[in-house]
Amino acid sequence: MKDMETDRTIMLSADMAISRFRRDLTLGLMLRVGLMAGALVAVGVAPFSSRLDGGMLLLIVGGIWLALSYQSMKGSRLAARSPSLIAMGDFDEAERQIEGALRSFSIFRAAKLLSLHHLAMLRHAQQRWQESAMLARTVLRQRLGALRGLSRSMRLILADSLLEMNDTHGAYEAIAGLYKERLALGEAMNLQLVQLDYLWRIRAWREMFDNVAAKAQLAELMPAGGAARSQAMLALAARKIGREDWAAWLMARAQLLIDPSQLVRERPVLAELWPQAASNSET
Amino acid sequence: MSEQDSAEHSEPSFLDVPTLLERSHPLPRRNWMRYALVAFVLLVLFSTIAGNNSPDFQTALRLISAFLMVVLVAVMGVVMYLTVRDHRAEQNRMMALEEMVQLRRWEPAAAMLDRMLSRPMLNPYNHAQALLYLSTVLARYHRYEDAIAVHEYLLDELHLEGPAGYAARLGRAMSMVHEDHLVDADRAISELRRMSGDESAGLTLIEIYRDVKTGHPAEAIELFTRRRDMLRHQLGHRFADACALAARAYDLAGQSEQAAAAYRDATLLSPAVELNRRYPEVAMLADKYPATPVPVMAA
Repeated sequence: MKDMETDRTIMLSADMAISRFRRDLTLGLMLRVGLMAGALVAVGVAPFSSRLDGGMLLLIVGGIWLALSYQSMKGSRLAARSPSLIAMGDFDEAERQIEGALRSFSIFRAAKLLSLHHLAMLRHAQQRWQESAMLARTVLRQRLGALRGLSRSMRLILADSLLEMNDTHGAYEAIAGLYKERLALGEAMNLQLVQLDYLWRIRAWREMFDNVAAKAQLAELMPAGGAARSQAMLALAARKIGREDWAAWLMARAQLLIDPSQLVRERPVLAELWPQAASNSET
Repeated sequence: MSEQDSAEHSEPSFLDVPTLLERSHPLPRRNWMRYALVAFVLLVLFSTIAGNNSPDFQTALRLISAFLMVVLVAVMGVVMYLTVRDHRAEQNRMMALEEMVQLRRWEPAAAMLDRMLSRPMLNPYNHAQALLYLSTVLARYHRYEDAIAVHEYLLDELHLEGPAGYAARLGRAMSMVHEDHLVDADRAISELRRMSGDESAGLTLIEIYRDVKTGHPAEAIELFTRRRDMLRHQLGHRFADACALAARAYDLAGQSEQAAAAYRDATLLSPAVELNRRYPEVAMLADKYPATPVPVMAA
């Protein structure tokens, strides 16, 4: 299957991945219940029956469990490298690994959930916003249990994807829950980017500028692109509320890291800060 | 700032590197599950054989073996739970450590590393990562010889490869330049160049620093201007380091105007006190060139 926009091979569509994920969850649940019932019979019923060998039955149940666990572990290992591959921009290899993990059967819910989470990350990195939003929503609808930490990154991916599709209301709902949670540093940086992107769309310039020094400090820890965009957004807010000193300082920092024309290309609203760069990027 | 200053001047009495390297090494994993599995199979065989040989006690034997199997499964479950819990706790400590290093909270990071590395770590990957953080903290306290020892251990004993191995090589080369081990530093830089060509901003930064330290400002300026785009793209706000070193190179070359501009850029991205701590050679620029002022919050 070919992606018309990028002419790249898309191996697994979001719809297909989600239906396979649901089917595997149901199958895994049935298998777990079946094996548990077998083990209970072996321990609780077999000792009182002359025709059932409880030890042998337990051995068979244990053998099946071990074989399926091994198979599941292979799938998990396959997907474990995909976040670093995505970070390095090797999307094709990440796609192959995630697809392999999603297609292989796993008895554990967590392994399947992680694979779907990785696919959402990949689609987000590929800027396939609709698919990443759909996948993130599916993960968030699940009972995450020990993997509840995933919900934070899924919410951030969902909010960012929705903003890219101009759904500010949906993005607000996605990030609203995050303010009550304790975020890791990386998550706090992503939240700042998403939050600034959301706030300029609703023209909440004062809220953007609130606590500007701390926001600028957090931006210092980001990679060049995020740091520049974050500070350019803050500069825009500073200008809107008449803080030209902050606007000039933040603009100077942003343009030292990234060419303004690139920033304007990514977010045309920033043309207000760099009109010259806007006309350059048009030509 | 006061926290940073106090961290800068107070030499930690802990972080005894040889002891930490020796004690932190992960122990070989004991595969309890394998023992439990063997015990389980033996139990099944015993109950089957004993039951066939003495039909009178068959029910009693089956009950006993069923009870023992339940105990065995429960023990396996508890062992697995404890193992997973310990691994998770170590992972959480690693995440906290990473944040402390990124946020430059050096004293708590050093204290946590001292605690974590004083006993065997569970996961070899976390062990290597913790040692990389240790080398960063040691460099922060200007204990470059110790930092080099940690890097050597990572590369020679743990055979660290890939991006983490490259980061360790970069850290070692930078510490060597700091300590004026210039012959070793040149060898380390050549090795890094073979690995990454001219595509690494970290390597370029080390080369610029070496040229500044050895009094070759023209070479440093040439490197800075030629690779400026790559430096700012890869380093983000740490591009300030390159600008500060370039300012020093321009100053050495007598090009005051360019030195002032580069110093303005450096202090626009990073506070002068942080740059002076990283590269003592640039501290004298503060008296010659104005830093970029940070706006004040009050209207």
